[in-house]
Amino acid sequence: MVAASGLGKRVYTAAGPLDILSDIDLQIQAGKAVAIVGVSGSGKSTLLGLLAGLDLPSSGDVWLAEHHMNALDEDGRAQVRGQLVGFVFQSFQLLSGLTALENVMLPLELAAAAEPRAQAAELLERVGLAERLTHYPKQLSGGEQQRVAIARAFSMRPAILFADEPTGNLDSSTGETVIDLLFELNRERDTTLVLVTHDEALAARCERRIRLEAGRIVPAGTTP
Amino acid sequence: MTHATRWRLAMRLLARDWRAGELRILSAAIVIAVAASTAIGFFTDRLGRGMINQSADFLGADLVLESPRPVAAAWLAQARSTGLRTSETLKFSSVVVAGDKLQLAGVRAVAAGFPLRGSLRTAPGPFLTDAEDAGMPAAGEAWAAPRLLTRLGLDSGDTLTVGEQALVIRKVLTFEPGQVGSPFGVAPRLLMNLADVPATGVVQPGSRLTYQYLFAGTEQDIARFRGWLKARLGASHRLVGVQEGRRAVGSALERAERFLGLAVMAAIVLAGVAIAMAARRYSQRHFDMSAMLRCLGASQRDLLGLYLAQLLVLGLLASAAGCLLGWLAQQGLLVLLAELLPMAPSATSAWPLLAGLLTGLVVLAGFALPPVLRLKGVPPLRVLRRDLSPLPSNAWLVYGIAIAAVVLLMWRYTGNAKLTLAALAGGAAASAVLGVLGFILLALGRRLHTRVGVAWRFGLNNLWRRRRTSVSQILAFGLALMAMAVIALVRSDLLTTWQDQLPVDVPNHFAINILPDQVEAVRDFMAARDVPTTQIYPMVRGRLVSINAEAVSQAVTKEAQSDNALNRELNLTWTTELQEDNAIVSGRWWRVEDSGRPLVSVESKLAERLGIELNDYLGFTVGDEAFSARVASIRSVQWDSFRPNFYMVFPPGVIERFAATWMTSFYLPPGDKPMLIELVRNYPAITVLEMDLIIAQVERIFRQVTLVVEYVLLFVLLAGFAVLFAALQASLDERLYEGALLRALGASRRQLRSGHLAEFITLGALAGLVAAIGTECLAWVLYSQVLHFDYSFKWPVWIAAPLVGAVLIGAAGYRGTRPVVERSPVVLLRER
Repeated sequence: MVAASGLGKRVYTAAGPLDILSDIDLQIQAGKAVAIVGVSGSGKSTLLGLLAGLDLPSSGDVWLAEHHMNALDEDGRAQVRGQLVGFVFQSFQLLSGLTALENVMLPLELAAAAEPRAQAAELLERVGLAERLTHYPKQLSGGEQQRVAIARAFSMRPAILFADEPTGNLDSSTGETVIDLLFELNRERDTTLVLVTHDEALAARCERRIRLEAGRIVPAGTTP
Repeated sequence: MTHATRWRLAMRLLARDWRAGELRILSAAIVIAVAASTAIGFFTDRLGRGMINQSADFLGADLVLESPRPVAAAWLAQARSTGLRTSETLKFSSVVVAGDKLQLAGVRAVAAGFPLRGSLRTAPGPFLTDAEDAGMPAAGEAWAAPRLLTRLGLDSGDTLTVGEQALVIRKVLTFEPGQVGSPFGVAPRLLMNLADVPATGVVQPGSRLTYQYLFAGTEQDIARFRGWLKARLGASHRLVGVQEGRRAVGSALERAERFLGLAVMAAIVLAGVAIAMAARRYSQRHFDMSAMLRCLGASQRDLLGLYLAQLLVLGLLASAAGCLLGWLAQQGLLVLLAELLPMAPSATSAWPLLAGLLTGLVVLAGFALPPVLRLKGVPPLRVLRRDLSPLPSNAWLVYGIAIAAVVLLMWRYTGNAKLTLAALAGGAAASAVLGVLGFILLALGRRLHTRVGVAWRFGLNNLWRRRRTSVSQILAFGLALMAMAVIALVRSDLLTTWQDQLPVDVPNHFAINILPDQVEAVRDFMAARDVPTTQIYPMVRGRLVSINAEAVSQAVTKEAQSDNALNRELNLTWTTELQEDNAIVSGRWWRVEDSGRPLVSVESKLAERLGIELNDYLGFTVGDEAFSARVASIRSVQWDSFRPNFYMVFPPGVIERFAATWMTSFYLPPGDKPMLIELVRNYPAITVLEMDLIIAQVERIFRQVTLVVEYVLLFVLLAGFAVLFAALQASLDERLYEGALLRALGASRRQLRSGHLAEFITLGALAGLVAAIGTECLAWVLYSQVLHFDYSFKWPVWIAAPLVGAVLIGAAGYRGTRPVVERSPVVLLRER
């Protein structure tokens, strides 16, 4: 479902070129939950950005399903994202001008799906926010906002869900509730989950872990 | 994304952004720009269309022949045989008397059939609602303009005297066809019957009169007669058709539109700056949303469509509101100018509305498009890395589009590429100079910050830190305050100068049209009443037709062809004594032996304008007779001495054979005015020009016109406020955060508020200072180069402008920064 080969990302700083990621080879099977772990600055989020087609690699290739992402232009990648990918972010990334319902409707509307309102309302009910449809993000707690973000991420029934530190901005008990929900929906809908986290306990709930260190994958079985 | 989805989403986001207040400044700026432009647009359109609709009505005929003397009866017979209807009127200035009051009036005596086209409008009493009137004054009657009645304290049914003839006022005249050429007439109008003219005794050989012959008929008949007549016209005849009549009023309107257009452009450019600032912030605040939408699969086209749809709808709505406001403002303009307008405004057409909407969209596109276009370039990766922003817009693009928009709009007002470029270059140069000045003042203010208290230090630091926006605000307000100060200054100085120009004992009255056989009697009349008069001069009305045997139209430069002296009859005189206030510049004054020799002395400025030199031969016509004279001297004349003065002075014995009237000037203290009534009653042909009243009337017109300019400048000031609020909004997030931090560190609300107050008072005072410096320079140029006034230091401006700036901007800025202390620091810091 997700594959990368020889993936690298190099940026140019005042001190010279800097490799954030090098020689990343990986394959993630459909329906699996994979955690990308590593300390701050190890390149986790950069890898997520490349795998999701939000950024272009300096070297190597990325495939999402059958799409060769780095061969597509930005609009082409956007189209693939719209069709296959859902996102959950640490900072929720809800549009403050839209209500909870409208935020969830947004991807459906972008894809011109039928009855976006009904589908969005159903999803919000599923994440326990039936009473909060008309609330704006500012009127919701952090946990509630992340649940709206999860509902939004699943609204298009994505084949792959990318989650970037989804509990990073939540206290531990709220975080746990949100993660339970995420995994539940993931299972229900047979979604491939790529989760970036520095939380080992959370990573342990995934079927596989990919550990990054200084921009490289640490082979399985190696102690960090 | 389908069109429908994009559109729905765009409107939803627009509604939310509107509620959040993000787009209010942007809209307000559009409203101001559109209101300013449509106010002028509606005003000139209504008057212009009024003029076109009514141009035949205006003229009162399809064709008018004007002549200083009656024309051959055969001409009128020819017109009638061509199938035209004819009528005639006689126009002259005369002092009208009622009881112990007198007033110079523009009299028009009309014959049966007048007007041939259109109709008179009258009201039953002064300032009552008027209506069309199919009649005309019967013999023994007069219809008078409201202003004449007010001046004389009369009402319908009262009696006034024109020359020796008493006339009963039957109606109040509100509109009279044929008053073309001078939309802003000075003397109030009086209409009477032509049959009464002989009895007035006003018409004498040599009197200043205009005979008007009116013709109406089919287009072909008019064209045929026009062709026939043209071949027979003399230099003193003037033919006015519908086209010419329209052009005369049209060009006055065009000038007004151009001049007010410049003020409107200043408002539009400032509004544009506010729009650019607001759009920049709008764009920045939508980076996250754009990144998220990209993440969710929206294409660049989707984003562009989404934002452009919002911009379009916002632009149209705000422009529509601006049009409405402009229409209201235009009503105000009509009220301000009601008395001066030559015509009834026509109903509004859709054109200014359309132009207003377009103006709004062009300003919006010119100033808001570049920052909004940036949104499509937001990298989707921004959802993970907040520090990623789209590439900044290309500076060429930003300024290019804005300048293109300004040029487009400016061209609309000037209709002239050269003028557009000149105005643009002038505006850019002035902005650059004032901008640099603002920056220097800001830097000087900054140096004070170590010597002031904490609040002032905070304020001065804020100004310096955001010095680019500070300078733009200083510039915006400086410009608006400067324009207003210059207008106010010129008005008050012109008015006082006019008043000062009539010092005690300088002649303040002119008596003209004194008949030759009355000259001695008038001299005795004055002497008997101890009224000192200047010399009494003869006046012969003649035209300058050639210079060195070449027709004047060919002999002079292109610019000089429109010189007033060539297009009307001049007053020619003869005398032996050189006037005290005249000086010979070249050549020599008359000697005894010059008597009877064809020589002439020419006024120096006229000579310069027309390129006349010593020993040139000038050809004149008086009536049908032509003669020439050699230029023997060039004279400088002090025109403001209020003595009779002449462009052309002959030695005795050259033009005595022509019919002449005489003129003099004299000083009369205000209490002695009743003497004038006696004078006019004894010598009805005499026209007395009361300079004090004429100056008062010119003052009134000037006051009204400057009021209109200030009215339009209010929009410039409003646009300045839009810039202030846009700049405030742009810095609000930063201010909120700093405010929260400072409060967390122990600063009191009071301290913060004092800092804000200090900041905006300083900003306003600096803008006022820039305005004062600009005003001083502009006034100096205007006074020394254009108005030729003595220039003195304008100290009141140096106090008033900074004070007004400090109060206005201090108050607005203080109000605008209120959210900084209203919101909880904890919430603010957490949101960050």
